[in-house]
Amino acid sequence: MKKAVLYINQFFAGVGGETEADFEPEIREGLVGPALELDKQLQNAEVTHTVICGDNFIGSNQEEAVKRILEGLEGIEFDIFFAGPAFQAGRYGSACGFICRAVREKFGVETVSSMHVENPGVLMFKKELYIAEGGHIAAKMRKDIKKMANIGDKLLAGETMLRAEAEEFFPRGIRHQFWPEEAKPAAIRAVEMLKKKLAGEEYQTELPIPKSDRVEIAKPVVDLSKARIALMNTGGIVPVDNPDKIQSASATRWGKYDISGMDHLESGVFKTIHAGFDPAAADADPNVIMPIDVMRAFEKEGKIGELYKDFYSTVGTGTTEAEARRMAQEIVVHMKEAQVDAVLMVST
Amino acid sequence: MKLEIGNFHVKDVCFGTETSFSNGTLIIDKQAAIDYIKEDEHITTCDIQIAKPGESIRIVPVKEAIEPRCRVNADHPLFPGVTGEVHPVGEGRTHALKGCSVLAVGEHWGSFGDGLIDMSGEGAKYSLFSSLINICLVADTDEEFERHEQQKKNRALRWGAHRLAEYLGNAVKELQPDDIEEYELGAITKRSAEVNALPSVVYVLQGQSQMEEDGYNDLVYGWDMNNYLPTLMHPNEIIDGAVISGSFMPCSSKWSTYDFQNNPTIKELYKEHGKSINFLGVIMSNLNVSLEQKERSAVYVAQIAKSLGADGAVLAEEGYGNPDADFIACFVALEDAGVKTVGVTNECTGRDGQSQPLVALDEKANAIVSCGNVSQLIRLPAMERVIGELEALSRDGLSGGWSGDEILGSSVKEDGSIIMENNAMFCGDQVSGWSPKTMTEF
Repeated sequence: MKKAVLYINQFFAGVGGETEADFEPEIREGLVGPALELDKQLQNAEVTHTVICGDNFIGSNQEEAVKRILEGLEGIEFDIFFAGPAFQAGRYGSACGFICRAVREKFGVETVSSMHVENPGVLMFKKELYIAEGGHIAAKMRKDIKKMANIGDKLLAGETMLRAEAEEFFPRGIRHQFWPEEAKPAAIRAVEMLKKKLAGEEYQTELPIPKSDRVEIAKPVVDLSKARIALMNTGGIVPVDNPDKIQSASATRWGKYDISGMDHLESGVFKTIHAGFDPAAADADPNVIMPIDVMRAFEKEGKIGELYKDFYSTVGTGTTEAEARRMAQEIVVHMKEAQVDAVLMVST
Repeated sequence: MKLEIGNFHVKDVCFGTETSFSNGTLIIDKQAAIDYIKEDEHITTCDIQIAKPGESIRIVPVKEAIEPRCRVNADHPLFPGVTGEVHPVGEGRTHALKGCSVLAVGEHWGSFGDGLIDMSGEGAKYSLFSSLINICLVADTDEEFERHEQQKKNRALRWGAHRLAEYLGNAVKELQPDDIEEYELGAITKRSAEVNALPSVVYVLQGQSQMEEDGYNDLVYGWDMNNYLPTLMHPNEIIDGAVISGSFMPCSSKWSTYDFQNNPTIKELYKEHGKSINFLGVIMSNLNVSLEQKERSAVYVAQIAKSLGADGAVLAEEGYGNPDADFIACFVALEDAGVKTVGVTNECTGRDGQSQPLVALDEKANAIVSCGNVSQLIRLPAMERVIGELEALSRDGLSGGWSGDEILGSSVKEDGSIIMENNAMFCGDQVSGWSPKTMTEF
């Protein structure tokens, strides 16, 4: 019999509610809370352990929590990892996502969670793990667990080609061709769709075009010669030891680096860790991506008031829109505090 | 304009002493047919082989497919401007041998736009042509200038297959067909009030024409569609030989001449004409290289549709990648002109399925029928017999094959099994309307 592990928060483990949300990670042998139902529903594996962690604890000590849980799992044999269901609870959803991501990376097993469509964890993690379409409140527990178990059973049986719509998990951004059971030629599908479109009736496109989420262009800076300008890039320019451990692709981390007293970025002191292009030019001269040299010249000429002391960095390749948005929101807080007037955003 | 297609349903094809058709069997005088093909001195070696559905046969490299036909009440060529002089088509009587096709197959050499057909097993589902009896013209030519080029015009082989299709079609010229299909669509301004009251619809075809040099692109009445502006055509012209397929574009995205002759979307629009729609006709457009050309064609298509008073359009592209820009530009131009549009295309989401499906996207393209992923990896076991040369798949730069890959190795394995991308399935994505496939999230 294959083995499964479930991650839940302090509330569903029966430890307590908000007052106990600082509960530190713990791995218990056997079934706690929702694990009982999951074990009952799951056909192709038995649930052997339950991981419990407070939502606050992982929220404010994410790396530490993930590290401790991964260490705890090292001695345990398991073939699949579950987390949740997290319903509409945002912190719980994110926690499930972070743990699943880390478990998948380290142990190479499939991971399954369940969240309500409005849980922010869906946008953040749907491409990385199977997230069953869950209810918004805990009353849906049994139903949600059933869906998680169904997905888990198929994965355990080696049926990897699951269709999102049929299996009721959030599309992972993986599109492939398939032959529907009632095959209808494209000609008939096209004419039927057109008739509906002409009649103003509802129809379903077979290729949904993602809504472009455009940001309005900001008003021009009134007087550049008085403005404090910050530099920012998605080209992965970091100090050579990459102190913030920004990933080379699909980044979830960002860093800010002090350039006080530097009139350019020195090769060998800074480099790129971006995996999406040939790094030779940027390693030889990091200013081609982060133009500190030119900005310092502008500063001297009085074209700009001041170059802000830190530049900001992350990696754009493979990074999801959701992660990019989150990182930007975090960075903006710093910039506002530092009274930055404008940002020069450099891509690659 | 009224066209009658007299159908002769072919149940079997075999070789015999006289090319003839009786009781569902097409008999081919092989030597006479070969002699006829070899009237073209560019054909150096030539054979005809037959592949039937269910047989353990793999055909590669396939360059073209044609339904054998003949014209009954005129001595005009089957493909005007290609197998003879330019004459109007789409009117009168044409006889067709149904259930079979003539394939142009390289005896050795393949090229970028060539494809593969498996007549049985798992691979059969990837091509419509596995369901037909294929009369394979397997030949080599003296076209030394392109023998080792990845892009080939394949002129001698393709023209040979067109001529063979006409030669075989002539066997039923004087016979009574099993049944007759009628395609009649009157002049646009002379239709009844009832028909005029229905939503009017155009079918926009973007034929492949992206090669700047002559000899690779789809031809309309023999004219290279690269040097071309969108034109209103009668649907009967399309299904009666006015258009032939080209020799460029990854194969699963291509429309063979057979696909034009039997375009299922035209047939579906005909079926609805007078009932739920008023089918105005076909706007034959093209696919281009430069952005200005793409936009110019889109402007023309939208203008023609608007001038005709079209309420709706079905828009189909013969290609993926760069042509997606033409497809989306045309889609947007039609929508902006107030023409409600449904697009038909395939996608390129990569082997992992995670890439952006089309090169260009626009929110106005809100109704699309999707026919497949060109880059899906396909593994297939060996077949007992190969028509053509299996090595062509890995050696000659077919769009879905490769000679070496760090992880996957060569497309062709020693035991005759293969690994390839859907790209090289012969006219596999069937965007002209057959496709039973769609795309979904996994």
